[in-house]
Amino acid sequence: MGSSRGTHAQTSGGSSGARILAALGLTFLCVISAAAVGWLRAPRQYRADPPVQDDLGRLRLMPNRIGGTPPESYFALGKPYEKTGYDLSQGKRLYTWFGCSTCHGDGRGKIGPSFLDGWWLYGPEMISVVASIRDGRPHGMPAYGNRMTSDQIWQLAGYVRTVGAYAPSPSATSRNDDPQTRPAENRGPAVQHFEQGPVGMNPRQGPSP
Amino acid sequence: MSRSRNDPEDRRPSDVDLPEAEVARRLHRTWATPRTLKDALSTVDHKIIGRRYIATAFVFLILGGLLALAMRLQLAAPEARIIGPDRYNQIFTMHGTTMMFLFAVPVMEAVGVFLVPLMIGTRNIAFPKLNAFSYWIYLAGGILLWVAFAVDVGPDVGWFAYVPLAGPEFSPGKRADIWAQMITFTEVSALAVSVELVATIFKQRAPGMSLDRIPVFVWAMLVTSFLVIMAMPAIMVASTTLILDRLVGTHFYNPAEGGDALLWQHLFWFFGHPEVYIIFLPAVGMVSTMIPTFSGRPIFGYLALVMALIATGILSFGLWVHHMFTTGLPRLGESFFTASSMSIAVPAGVQIFCWIATLWAGRPQMKAPLLFICGFIFTFVMGGMTGVMVASVPLDSQVHDTYFVVAHFHYVLIGGALFPLVAAIYYWLPKATGRMMSERLGRVVFGLIFVGFHGTFFPMHILGLMGMPRRVYTYQPEMGWGGINLFVSVSALVLAAGFLLFFIDVFRSARSGPLAGPNPWNAPTLEWATSSPPESYNFLRIPVVSSANPLWDDPDGPSVASGLNIDRRELLVTSVVEALPEARESSPTDSIWPLFAALATAILLIASIFTPWAVVWGALPVTLALICWFWPKGEPEDEA
Repeated sequence: MGSSRGTHAQTSGGSSGARILAALGLTFLCVISAAAVGWLRAPRQYRADPPVQDDLGRLRLMPNRIGGTPPESYFALGKPYEKTGYDLSQGKRLYTWFGCSTCHGDGRGKIGPSFLDGWWLYGPEMISVVASIRDGRPHGMPAYGNRMTSDQIWQLAGYVRTVGAYAPSPSATSRNDDPQTRPAENRGPAVQHFEQGPVGMNPRQGPSP
Repeated sequence: MSRSRNDPEDRRPSDVDLPEAEVARRLHRTWATPRTLKDALSTVDHKIIGRRYIATAFVFLILGGLLALAMRLQLAAPEARIIGPDRYNQIFTMHGTTMMFLFAVPVMEAVGVFLVPLMIGTRNIAFPKLNAFSYWIYLAGGILLWVAFAVDVGPDVGWFAYVPLAGPEFSPGKRADIWAQMITFTEVSALAVSVELVATIFKQRAPGMSLDRIPVFVWAMLVTSFLVIMAMPAIMVASTTLILDRLVGTHFYNPAEGGDALLWQHLFWFFGHPEVYIIFLPAVGMVSTMIPTFSGRPIFGYLALVMALIATGILSFGLWVHHMFTTGLPRLGESFFTASSMSIAVPAGVQIFCWIATLWAGRPQMKAPLLFICGFIFTFVMGGMTGVMVASVPLDSQVHDTYFVVAHFHYVLIGGALFPLVAAIYYWLPKATGRMMSERLGRVVFGLIFVGFHGTFFPMHILGLMGMPRRVYTYQPEMGWGGINLFVSVSALVLAAGFLLFFIDVFRSARSGPLAGPNPWNAPTLEWATSSPPESYNFLRIPVVSSANPLWDDPDGPSVASGLNIDRRELLVTSVVEALPEARESSPTDSIWPLFAALATAILLIASIFTPWAVVWGALPVTLALICWFWPKGEPEDEA
């Protein structure tokens, strides 16, 4: 870091005390500012604190269960679930572990709706996706509220939203070590790879909501 | 060298027939780096760049050492809660990466950059602008890694970053990308220095310094440079393919699409094992160069030592698989690599017997450097013993990934490289600063470091045999490891105190140590033939060598060659084997463009972590900087 520059100034610059002092000061400044930036960044947490966990489950949904206000702790954390690489990748893992691909395939939909087309039956807000996962939806979407923790639901929702994202994100997940069926999320927004517009509903899914 | 006076080429200003003071004045005007910021940034003097390199590497040693102390703090007691698992993963990765890539390899190369031109009697390293570039790119790589760590994006996948853990699926975020790109920086700088050293050693030796009169340290740097040139491309392929897998979605390490996860380990260790010798061989060379001075007689078995260096270099490419014994290899492969791993003990043994014979036949003076060398021989032999143990598959399968392995490689790396390096600092710092370090403090430092080291790392063998895995952030009280771990942590403080005292002595000596004079140790090699610290032009006149120990065999100092231009930078190029003078070659002047080229390259490499387009747009400033760097100066080449 800056400290190394400081040291060479000491050795090449000879014994003038002012120079050494300036170099040390510069080094100190660099260390302090880097540490400050590090302090401001949210650390990666393997397990959310129980009170946060509890609060993340308090969704204030509209009566039709589409849209609403996310819990305060979601904002207090800095909306991590849509943008940090760690949470997105945890979401991707949960997508496999909880068998989402059984109905939604690799994101293009099977008997369940597609995510890649960027059309959201219950709106694109995080809270709607979270509510869909937690409480289930009519015509086949089961409720996962008693199978996953609240922060896992948020992680999974964040990942699902990046599948059909219209803008590239530097923290989007990369490919898995699996046979590939479509380009990974970080290969650019889905819109580059797939036709826009809703993919037709699978007839087995029943009438549209 | 001297030609007839009517030769038209001889009308150029040369040092023939000029008084020494006038030659010194004009050489200084030609070679010196003025003390302004711009000149400090554009200097190509190998001594200044070497000093920077060494100082920077020691800063990284301190940083890596602080991380080690943090780990020992966490492990001192079972179930400690000082550092969480995520931070701990970053800390052990940063410790290993910093020590291997930012300290050990660069510091050895750096000592070569500083010493080799002095030892072989030339005025600057070959390709001096590349030398400046390599330092800046190394610095940028170090800054990248440590700034990333400060903002909590430090790599957390271990210093060898095995896939699939380091691959796209299991290492989210930019952490592993930072690691892989930092590798690229250190690769470029190490390769650049190696090319310079090979060219310098082969073509710029003082006249008469035939291959059998080269100091052993220079031989060691030559072999090391070839190791770097042959080993680094493997890690370059590895880190590039890893980052491609992660960022672009290639499948080099994805078995489901025809890739191979084990390929990473082969590529990494094909580099990683020679890297151990890239660190160790220069240390061996330092020891072989220091021992004759303190024994008062020439080295015993020069030919055997050089052959052992070369044999170690060649063998080092044939044992990488011993890092992979637990991956499920064919039986024949395991047997072959067990045998080759054990065979490396033969050249190591030859070297150790040569050193003991030299000490035995001479009159050893127990000065601080020799103390550290004795500590090195003792410690390294112990590390070699556990090395032979882990070279056998059954034992390795038991202790793989335990603290036994941690103990082993700290014994060979600290014992085999850091002890000689500290000895070398005591020995050569007077050449760099002109002032001696304290002999009395040196003994205390040696005592603290030696006792602290063995107290820290010997119990780790036992911990490993008890089953404590490496890279765990804590352990349960029921395991019964608490007492030994506490002892290890306390010993680590002793070790750290030794290094603290060492650094205090370095700074104290550089300010107010007793003046050294040109040859304080009565050493035989050429770097002691010039003043301490050496002038910017190294030697007033290029020495002519007639034996392997020129300063001992010519008590009045070596005879000198004259005829080099004194108003422009000029070197003497000699033949590879006999070192017969072949040509006067111009040497590049200072330039700011290596710094800008390094900056542009750093921007390209760092930005490419975030978007592939950086490779396209970032190439423009790199190209621009290189065009300016190589822009012809309009000096006819053959004027020299």
